[in-house]
Amino acid sequence: MSTLTAVAPNVLQKGTNVDAELNSSNSTITMETTPNPTPANQTMIEIDDVSFSYDLGKTNTLRNISLDIPEKQVTAFIGPSGCGKSTLLRCINRMNDLVETSRVTNGEIRIMGQDINAKSVSAIELRKQVGMVFQKYNPFPKSIYDNVAYGLRIQGIKDKSTLDESVERALKGAALWDEVKDRLKDSALGLSGGQQQRLCIARATAVRPKVILMDEPCSALDPIATAKVEELITELRRDFTIVIVTHSMQQASRISNNTAFFYLGELIEYDDTNKIFSNPSIKQTEDYISGRFG
Amino acid sequence: MSTPEAPKDNPFCKSQESRKTQENAIRTLFIIATYVILLSAAFIFGDIIIKGTPVLASKGWSFIFKKPQTLNVIEVEKSDHIEVPVKNFDSIIESNAKHSDLFTNIKEVQHQTNVTTFDIAPGSVIGEGYLKNLEKQNKGFYLRFDKRDTQSPVAFTLESPKSITLRNPEFESLKASAPEIVPAEVEVAERNLSKFEVTIEEGEYPIGKSAHDALVPTKLVFQMRQTFADDEPDKINQVIIPSTQTITVEAAVYFAAFDEDERGTLPLSAEESIPNKILFHTFELPAGTHAVAPDALAILEKHGANSQHNTARGSIIFNNKKPLTLTVPSNEFEELRKANPGLQISNVSNQDIASTYISFSLSKDAELRFDIDDYEAITLGNKASGNFIPLSEKTHSYSGGGILGPIVGTALLVIICMVVALSTGIATSVFLNEYAAKGKFIATVRLAMLNLAGVPSIVFGLFGLGLFVILAPTLTSQPNVESKLIIPIAPIASDIGAREVEDKKIYVSEEKMGTDEVRNLAAAAGSTRFYDGWQYISFQGWGTCMLAGGFTLAIMVLPVIITSCEESLSAVPMGFREASLALGATKWQSIRTAVLPYAFPGILTASILGITRVAGETAPIMFTAAVAERSDLPWQGINATGLDAFVGFLQQSVQALPYHIYTVAGRIPQSEYTEPMQYGSVLVFMMIVMTFAAFSVWLRIRIRNKIKW
Repeated sequence: MSTLTAVAPNVLQKGTNVDAELNSSNSTITMETTPNPTPANQTMIEIDDVSFSYDLGKTNTLRNISLDIPEKQVTAFIGPSGCGKSTLLRCINRMNDLVETSRVTNGEIRIMGQDINAKSVSAIELRKQVGMVFQKYNPFPKSIYDNVAYGLRIQGIKDKSTLDESVERALKGAALWDEVKDRLKDSALGLSGGQQQRLCIARATAVRPKVILMDEPCSALDPIATAKVEELITELRRDFTIVIVTHSMQQASRISNNTAFFYLGELIEYDDTNKIFSNPSIKQTEDYISGRFG
Repeated sequence: MSTPEAPKDNPFCKSQESRKTQENAIRTLFIIATYVILLSAAFIFGDIIIKGTPVLASKGWSFIFKKPQTLNVIEVEKSDHIEVPVKNFDSIIESNAKHSDLFTNIKEVQHQTNVTTFDIAPGSVIGEGYLKNLEKQNKGFYLRFDKRDTQSPVAFTLESPKSITLRNPEFESLKASAPEIVPAEVEVAERNLSKFEVTIEEGEYPIGKSAHDALVPTKLVFQMRQTFADDEPDKINQVIIPSTQTITVEAAVYFAAFDEDERGTLPLSAEESIPNKILFHTFELPAGTHAVAPDALAILEKHGANSQHNTARGSIIFNNKKPLTLTVPSNEFEELRKANPGLQISNVSNQDIASTYISFSLSKDAELRFDIDDYEAITLGNKASGNFIPLSEKTHSYSGGGILGPIVGTALLVIICMVVALSTGIATSVFLNEYAAKGKFIATVRLAMLNLAGVPSIVFGLFGLGLFVILAPTLTSQPNVESKLIIPIAPIASDIGAREVEDKKIYVSEEKMGTDEVRNLAAAAGSTRFYDGWQYISFQGWGTCMLAGGFTLAIMVLPVIITSCEESLSAVPMGFREASLALGATKWQSIRTAVLPYAFPGILTASILGITRVAGETAPIMFTAAVAERSDLPWQGINATGLDAFVGFLQQSVQALPYHIYTVAGRIPQSEYTEPMQYGSVLVFMMIVMTFAAFSVWLRIRIRNKIKW
């Protein structure tokens, strides 16, 4: 275990964070050997030695994960099924709260420096800042307009012009505006699968979150729709910090800046995407990427 | 080209005759079972449809829009010029479609009814009975009077001379207040009757109803804990004696209230028999109308000289601010004016209102069927001419009229039941499906709930009887003696309207303080309202009423509703909840906007199926809501306004369709005259229930096709 955490690279900018300094003292070797993959960006999410359990701590699904996710970049989580990458993703906006017996048993997740599991943090307010797009596109059986406006409406915004403006901006941002602008009042279920998933992305961006979590957003889509969504994700990274879980290594290599490889609940390697896919430091990572297992 | 012959030894070409016979036998058995069920269903439904359709056809809409009535089967002698109002004639023809050829010479006759319209000035004085008549004849007129005139003479009428015997003190006071009716010659007799002087210690004692009734007119000051229940007069109540009192009572009261042998119960600390000589005066009141002071009428009333229109409490004073315009039939107007000299009448005008009668001849003697109101109308209409001659009369209960009451009752029960069942059912299923943690406890709760669905409906009926009819809490100012627990809430105030005070019956009989005194005291103290007691929460049940029945049915149908609501909720994809929560919705926001709207169609379908189940139940309402006979609809005859009227309405018992069918099919003597009602009711009931079932199936298919995710 200690060897694994030691090789996991730190993506911190030096001197920006006290915790980073503390961390770095434990893993001085990595700090020196691994170049910082994102020199221009601030850290958005710090995951610090997190262990997570679905059954009140009897067994840990995630074990001592530490990684820092930089702002306005795409970070991909890869790994075989059951390795815990989706679990970690759902920890970031506390969606795991829905499971009664789930607990973060160790460590902290900090977003913009704030521990999100602290007592003073409201999961509801957190989720307004950390949006999520799911594996299976799930628009409500309402009109396209109502779907995008949903998040704003539950925040109590009723003003028609504000809603119109936000809906248009979100749909344009999701590259869906031209396709649906004439039928905003039609049911969202009449759209194609790819369009529905982009609608879900628009719905998540409409409330202007800081972070968007994507849980295998393309796994239910055909290659053409996938290409469009990927294009969209690269566009969105200008405004949002994106964390994406994917099974497709090609996808990870195409769209992400950084990639984290998980195996059996542990973080094996986290580095710049180019480095991971061209020259991984760990044998396990190389085996997985080259398709020898998983 | 010929096909090559198959080889003889092919394993699947072997003849398997015996197995084939067995297969056929089993198949035939299954077919028979299916067809037996189909046949019996066809037989039952066929019978109902074949016999019920002609009933509906002959009675038409009146079968649905008329109340159940007693059917009079009358043998009528042939006669000419029988007259009857048009609407009754139509109904008579409907009931006697078989004999329609006997009605000949049918023609319309106009009868003029003369009505008088007049104004009554404020401050007029009227006898209570006349006021009630006026209220009956003028729709919407209801006087909430607050004063009675206890001075003006009130009239009473004797049909024949009446001999009256009075004791001395009563005779003296009658002589003082109404000397004109006491003749010069009076028979006097002397008799010995003991009086008792008794002392009752302060305290609280058990008391029976007869002792209570005997004590009410005495000078004893006492207060009752609770009111006596009408349906259980033998139940013992509690009486509070606020202070030690010594009173003198007559023998009858003594034996009723204090003598242990006569089941009197109040203990006495001292008693003394006082010999008492009483003079009895006997005289004869001649027939005719007499006007006397209310005091005198009070004495005479006790001895059987009842007045139809006036009471000893005095006449009623009109407290309206503006003159009231009222209408009465002209022939009653003169009597009204003559009997009420205190009535200040102006603007009298007469009008003729034409009403159309039908005159017909009956060409030969016939056995005709009459609904009770038609029979009354035809008897009344021909009283003078004597043209309607009944020879023999048979009555069959519930066999005339229609089924309006039962339909209305069932509809109301279903509405109450569904309101209760849906609100609780949806809340429960949302809790179970969305909020509750998955665990052993919740699993047990759910299992218990599902098991409720298997409880026989008669058990629900008894449960409803125990819980809602005789135990449920109710808000009242007069807790019943049956009450299990009484919690005082707040003192209640009343307007000083005399009518209201009288309706409320004051149970603190302080020195015989009557309603007038209570009212006067309150008025003297400068208040427009007075406190006449406490408001209590009393666990005395709601009685046999719609509310109890609706709640019982709701509890019976709850397991079904909860199960289907839960199914509808869990059919809503998890993704909707997640998407909503991930956008920062609270739990309730997400349930309200992203779960319930999509579960709603399923809930709707389930509730319509629930309605058909509930509408058909007999057992749960037998003890809790349904009555076999009730002549008026539940909202008729409620003398209250506002919230009280609504509460009063919910506390009415009703007729219900399934119970009505049970009554007409099983509880009354059967004859050819009762049969149409049975088949008609069942057919209508079946049609209603099947319409609902079909509607729910249609709705379900429609929603399934429409909503997909």
